[in-house]
Amino acid sequence: MVRNATVGIIANPASSRDIRRIVARGPATTTNDKINSLARLMEGLAATGVSRVVSMSDAGGIAQGLASIAQKATASHWPELSFVDQEISHSPTDTINAARAMCEQGVGAIVVLGGDGTNRLLLGETGDTPVASISTGTNNAFPRRDEPTVVGFAAGYVATSTVDPAVCTYRAKSLTVTAGEESMGALVDVAIVDGDRIASGAVWDAGSLREVFLCFAEPDAVGLSSIGGHLQPVGRDEPNGLHVQLDATARQRITVPIAPGLIRELGIASVATLPPDTTVEVRAQAGVISVDGERSMRFAPGTPISVTLNARGPRVLDVPLAMSHAIQTPTTTKGEDTHG
Amino acid sequence: MGDLDRLAMYTQMVRIRQYESRIMQEYHADKSPAWDIGAGLIPGEMHLAAGQEPAAVGVCAHLKKGDAITAPHRPHHFALAHGVDMNKMTAEIYGRTGGLCKGKGGHMHLFDPENHFSCSGIIAQGLPVACGQAMAFKRKGTDNVAIAVTGEGAANQGAFHESLNLAAVWNLPVIFVIEDNDWAISVPKDASTAGASNADRAAGYGMPGVRVEDNDVEAMFEAAGAAIDRARAGDGPSLIEIHTLRLFGHFEGDAQAYRPELETVNDRDPIPKYAASLKELGELSDDQIAAIQADADAEVDAAIEFAKSSPEPAPEDALLHVFA
Repeated sequence: MVRNATVGIIANPASSRDIRRIVARGPATTTNDKINSLARLMEGLAATGVSRVVSMSDAGGIAQGLASIAQKATASHWPELSFVDQEISHSPTDTINAARAMCEQGVGAIVVLGGDGTNRLLLGETGDTPVASISTGTNNAFPRRDEPTVVGFAAGYVATSTVDPAVCTYRAKSLTVTAGEESMGALVDVAIVDGDRIASGAVWDAGSLREVFLCFAEPDAVGLSSIGGHLQPVGRDEPNGLHVQLDATARQRITVPIAPGLIRELGIASVATLPPDTTVEVRAQAGVISVDGERSMRFAPGTPISVTLNARGPRVLDVPLAMSHAIQTPTTTKGEDTHG
Repeated sequence: MGDLDRLAMYTQMVRIRQYESRIMQEYHADKSPAWDIGAGLIPGEMHLAAGQEPAAVGVCAHLKKGDAITAPHRPHHFALAHGVDMNKMTAEIYGRTGGLCKGKGGHMHLFDPENHFSCSGIIAQGLPVACGQAMAFKRKGTDNVAIAVTGEGAANQGAFHESLNLAAVWNLPVIFVIEDNDWAISVPKDASTAGASNADRAAGYGMPGVRVEDNDVEAMFEAAGAAIDRARAGDGPSLIEIHTLRLFGHFEGDAQAYRPELETVNDRDPIPKYAASLKELGELSDDQIAAIQADADAEVDAAIEFAKSSPEPAPEDALLHVFA
């Protein structure tokens, strides 16, 4: 077991508050819910002997709330808590900068609170550091719905090397979409939508969808990946992805939840396996590129757009698998001193 | 949801900004001594909304005749975006008989029955009023909506919570719009508010709560359009909080020594940012920018001229148009 193990925490204060609270029935995960999740996470980390936690700073009240609880006597057994010394920009840059700082400090694992969009920001930033996710977003296709207390156990066991990261983590797939000179990454989906509006970001107008590229597609998913999940499921551990072209007049119809409580019938023009490391050209001549459900970039007529599936996502901690290994480890069994 | 008219929204934002900038000049022009808020052509305190234009423009783009707005002490942007007559509004601010309230109200008490617009200097006071308006719309069977505007600091007032509760219980067609400009006068939110986003508070009352980041007028347009459509359809109240920007002081004369980010405020001005975005889309040219600005200059100058040429009330007018 590693002594002085450190775990990083990234909690997105902005998750779960976009327009899908109105146009769909998106859940409201409040700031206090997020703070409570972190407190449960800290209990799990403490139980596994993690000695230090470094958390992202934010102006959304999460860091402040967590620090307030950490000062109380009931949290005296928690790992030492500190915050990344960073300038707060109220933007996704805060998450990226925090992840970089944590990796430079050599944390043993990073726990992310957010949805698909939050996790996407870590693309290319975390290297081989195991990343565990707690769902506090809207669609939550990428993060599993694990209880934060248990995520704390699993992240703690990995950070302390109680369990071997090599046996309970996997490399997530990712998509790279290139528009002219610019490119962006996605962990779940890239979509091409009609129009030129970025506005509130979230994709909720099903009629605007033209093409969807998916890293994985699970039948029980909510969001754009549910389109693939209802057509041709693809697992997270399979090398391929999926490419779906939509057409409102197409004869093949599916009915899917493109957001919580927002179910739409879509016309499917084609479904194709998306092989890894193969560049696929986008047909649409103009529109907006969405990554992981968020409209992010306009492209003008004539701009060449292509999408490539690869295996460059974060190293994801499989919480159930980590727990299965941990309970077979002597140091975690009852009666042993787990605090080294 | 209505069509997005980018040029109209940009024009409205420029018009409001020009108004607030000129009122600031006028307010200080003859204020002597400078600390005497009763001195000069424009008496009383002055709270300007420069930087907060996206909130008003994004919401009012969806409103129609008969819809109501209650605004707080910083009301000009919502008044102008909702169609309040600029001449009469300016005369009111100058305390002249040609004003909306014949000069008795001043800039914090603008009442325009024709456009269902009102405001008040009492924090959160407009929220119960908006619920009343919404109840009237509902009982009359119209699809009109009431917009209740307030700042983030006002969300700690009892009237805020009472209004959200009532709106939810009675399923009223009211949209609560919170302008979070980071500062309740000089108090930062983290020193006064349990919970960083007032969008969270909507959940406690069973209504949707949305937070719009980046002071983005098109994001506000979409969120407000969805909330207004929902209210018109009879689905009840919503809350939208926009993270906006107070470009000027809390009041004119506020040195803002409490504000550590003051040097970077102009970098976050939403109007040049939106102009750049529209130029990139090919929907706005430099010539159009100049023409829109010139039109705004002329309209505001004319309104100020109208106000200055309007008579001051006579002392005995104090006994007219009052209840007691």
